Amino acid sequence: MFKKLIEESTGKSPWLFHINAGSCNGCDIELVSVLTPRYDAERLGFKLAGSPRHADIVVVTGPITAQSLPRVLRSIEQVPEPRCIVTMGSCPQSGNVFRGSYSICGPLSKYVHVDVDVAGCTPKPEAVIDGLALATKILQEKRRAMK
Amino acid sequence: MNMLSLQHFPIYSIMVLFLGAFLIVIFGKSKVFRHAVALLATFASFFFMAMLFKPVMLEGQTIAYWMGNRVPAGGYAIGIALEVDALSLFFGLLVSCVVFIACVYSIQYMSHDDNVPQYYTLFLMLAGGVMGLVLSGDLFNMFIMVEILTFAAVALTAFRNTANGALEAAFKYLVVGCIGSTCILAGTIMLYAQVHTLNLAQMSALIPGNLSTATKVAFALLFIGFCTKAFLVPFHPLAADAHGAAPASISVLISGVLTKSGIYGLIRLSYFLFQSMALGTMQFWLVFLGSVSMFVCVTMALAQHDFKRLLAFHSISQIGYVLASVGLCTAFGISAGLYHAMNHTLFKGLLFLAAGAVLHETGTTDLGKLGGLSRKMPHTTVLFLIGAFSISGIPPFNGFASKWMIYQATYQKAVETGNIGFLLVTICALVTSTLTLASFVKVTQSVFFGQLPKEYENVKEVPFGMRLAMGILAAMCLVTGLLPEAVTRYLTEPAARAVFAVTDYINNMMGAGYAQSAMTAPPAVQSVSFASAGVWSPISWLCLLMIALLAVSIVAIAGKYDRVSVKSPENLGGKYDLFYGGEQTVYSQVGGDDLFWGFKHNWRHYFSFMHELHSGVVNDYSLWAVVALALAIVYALIVL
Amino acid sequence: MIIEALKYLAYVLIFPGFLFCFLTGMLLCGIDRKLVARMQKRVGPPILQPFYDFFKLCGKETIIPAAANRTVFLLAPLVGLAALVVLQLFIPVFGFSAFSNVADVIVILYLLLIPALSIMIGGAATGSPYAGVGLSREMVTVLSCELPLVLVLLAVGKKVGAATGSGLCFSLSEIVRYQMLNGSLLGKLSMLPAAAAFLMVIPGETGSHPFDAAEAETEICEGMLAEYSGAPLGVYKLSHAVKLLTMTSLFVMLFLGGIGGAIQNLILGAGLSGGAAGALIILLDVLVLFALCAAITAAAISFVHAVTARLKIEQIFKYYWTVVAALALVSLVLAWYGL
Repeated sequence: MFKKLIEESTGKSPWLFHINAGSCNGCDIELVSVLTPRYDAERLGFKLAGSPRHADIVVVTGPITAQSLPRVLRSIEQVPEPRCIVTMGSCPQSGNVFRGSYSICGPLSKYVHVDVDVAGCTPKPEAVIDGLALATKILQEKRRAMK
Repeated sequence: MNMLSLQHFPIYSIMVLFLGAFLIVIFGKSKVFRHAVALLATFASFFFMAMLFKPVMLEGQTIAYWMGNRVPAGGYAIGIALEVDALSLFFGLLVSCVVFIACVYSIQYMSHDDNVPQYYTLFLMLAGGVMGLVLSGDLFNMFIMVEILTFAAVALTAFRNTANGALEAAFKYLVVGCIGSTCILAGTIMLYAQVHTLNLAQMSALIPGNLSTATKVAFALLFIGFCTKAFLVPFHPLAADAHGAAPASISVLISGVLTKSGIYGLIRLSYFLFQSMALGTMQFWLVFLGSVSMFVCVTMALAQHDFKRLLAFHSISQIGYVLASVGLCTAFGISAGLYHAMNHTLFKGLLFLAAGAVLHETGTTDLGKLGGLSRKMPHTTVLFLIGAFSISGIPPFNGFASKWMIYQATYQKAVETGNIGFLLVTICALVTSTLTLASFVKVTQSVFFGQLPKEYENVKEVPFGMRLAMGILAAMCLVTGLLPEAVTRYLTEPAARAVFAVTDYINNMMGAGYAQSAMTAPPAVQSVSFASAGVWSPISWLCLLMIALLAVSIVAIAGKYDRVSVKSPENLGGKYDLFYGGEQTVYSQVGGDDLFWGFKHNWRHYFSFMHELHSGVVNDYSLWAVVALALAIVYALIVL
Repeated sequence: MIIEALKYLAYVLIFPGFLFCFLTGMLLCGIDRKLVARMQKRVGPPILQPFYDFFKLCGKETIIPAAANRTVFLLAPLVGLAALVVLQLFIPVFGFSAFSNVADVIVILYLLLIPALSIMIGGAATGSPYAGVGLSREMVTVLSCELPLVLVLLAVGKKVGAATGSGLCFSLSEIVRYQMLNGSLLGKLSMLPAAAAFLMVIPGETGSHPFDAAEAETEICEGMLAEYSGAPLGVYKLSHAVKLLTMTSLFVMLFLGGIGGAIQNLILGAGLSGGAAGALIILLDVLVLFALCAAITAAAISFVHAVTARLKIEQIFKYYWTVVAALALVSLVLAWYGL
């Protein structure tokens, strides 16, 4: 029963940790707009956490610059299991307009397993919420798979 | 008289210490010998005191002892006397017990120093001086003992004279300490000129009815003299310097024992010799002095950046609690004050020993340079935390029990007298307690938690002997906190009763009926009642806490509290590092003296004022002493 | 004997101990979050959201940083929670009190320090610099709240003590008993400033919004909690929720105790008696207590949360030691002179 309760709860309380990996700030603003009164992702239990130790879902924005790569990876490592990684915007998936630049190390999926990609430049808040909801499902799956 | 009769025990208990000092001077070259003598002497001293526990504390006897059996003749006490009532025994027990523990600690703590035989000689002289002071029945002998202990303490302060500031601290202590001792001598002489006797009991009978200008001035002189010994405001800067420089085991004695002798002197002076505590103005004086000491010194402590100096200021702050409570002139207040005095000796001893352990291993007590020692010295950390919780009054440790009684006593006094001033004391005491907690959180973070600096990677736990001494004190902190009823019933209440039993004290010494015939007015007998306003039963509280902790733990374990976490650090590396916003871990310790800047910012004017005031110049401190003396004389002339 | 022991065990574990604290504290927390959301024209999380958060955290991995002191790191949250549960046991539920005779307001004052202390020690044990900064701020917040809290408790003690003739009264259950007979203290003019001061202390003590500099998630990564994950973090979240309950029910008992008398009169006036009436009274007491706690949470925490921005730590200290302390002092002086 206890296990079921935890599983159930895992789907209802995903906390986000947001990493900016060289983003142009557009996605960052758009992520925050998801939490505003208009879209209010908190009704699904989403909350921005201050430290990766508290997070369930890591949201990465930006094209993964060379400077940010080790920091992004270290922060992701510090998130306790089960965790989900969501890329937001086109940059972390393809490099977007920055593709081919000498200072870009993307895409993120070269380094870690990315669970959900939310494409767009920038993605609409609805798309972001959809992606996060999907990530929540995956999170629940991962929790079920633990032990 | 039989050599083993109880009558002799007080003098034995003083003598063994001096004898030990003497033997170590002669034969101290041998390490084993001097350790054996020091341990034996301090333990014997404690043993003799403990043997007196039953007759004095339980049966209410007072032990009067005339040296060379020179009993009073013709109504005058000529001989030298020792008189042990419950008050003296209370302090005697406390002193001898802590001296023994400090001695155990010293053996390993001082092993790296030079001139160790001299250390033990001075150590035992200091202990003997304090024992002599609290057991003496003679004012002039009290002065002699004060001199012995002051000079022993000065020499021990400068013992590590290669350390930075040790000689300076000793010099300051010497100058102001001598002003204090001189005050005591002058006061003694003036009183002798007035009443032609030096026996405490006889003086207590003769002085109160015959106050003249000279006796009033003498009161002020003695008062300031004992204040110097207790390091009360305005003599507090000395303590900080002395503690900062002295070896930790000596700090324990200076803070736990020497200051108590000052408090003891003040009690004897104002409750016995002058019996002036029934006056509201005298109560105000003591309580005011106590409150100012507790508040000023706790704020000073918050601003310190040296572990031992911080503890030194706290020690005066706690003495302030004791004095404020003792000055209430209620049985409950005195009982509470003495209880706190005892607790202070225990937890402050523990804290100084912990500071000594840190110094022993790392070579510094600078809060800004230390950090993260809890992983290297886990036992010391736990013992330090017990001391820190005790002094901050966190239940169930002993500081809480006595502080709780002090709050009750001051508040009760406020309600009884309708004087809102006593209420301020309650508030001041409560706030001071939280400030105390704050500064110990600072120490905890700056020394034991936080990050370990590179140069202390190889620090080890201190040797067993040192941990043993700390462990004994920590256990005593817990026990006296858990059994407040037993402590008050068997230790502090008899002592508090003795404070009000002046007539018995006189008659025991001078012969039955002397007090009634000599005193012009019998002392107003206070009703000695220990009815308290609330209930505090730590045992049941602790049971509750344990059950709750158990319940929480079970739930937590059921919730996989710890199962998943036990993983060896993966190759990924960064996972078990601290979170630095994604950066690689670098050394960055948050600690040191400015930890509570949010608080200090609001008090910046106060702190800068204090900073300017405490110039560190001995001339200034001497001036303070003289000004305090002048004020005391004026006040005594007006109110007595 | 065994029955007696079982009874006390039930007190500790179920009511008014652990289970009660857990359920009501979490519910209060959920209500708070919902109310804040509604005040910001959001839908807000479900009322049960804190439960989800807690159970989710229980199922997460607990990472113990390599630099942390493992024992302290794991033990600190438990001690803090246990102290809070014990504290809740000492707070009577109107006429009903499980362990009234072992504690008074000073004990409660000190017990309130333990959870704060545990979170500070736990945070410090990780060695994280964020925790260091958080610890500094938390301690100053505790210091800030202490003075007004002391003044309020002394004022109430004096007021009740003067009225009952004992001079001073520190026992919480006696304070409640007095109010049940003579009406709530909130009805007394001299106690109004104290009540207002206590209301202002509640957000500071619980570390909620304008006074949450110590756990500022956007600037110092939740301060002392920065390194906590999994179940220990859940225990801290639970402690926070229980503290909500503790502070609000303390307010109810200090200032609104008279309502308990009204309930008693209502039930007994309806002609009920015996065990059924006793059970009914307790049931109603609990319900009313919870409603009042929720109302106070709404007024003192949610509303303040929704309309203010975070204060700097020195502002917090200044605010408490001037405005709030002055209010409490007015009450104390009034009570002192028998008003």
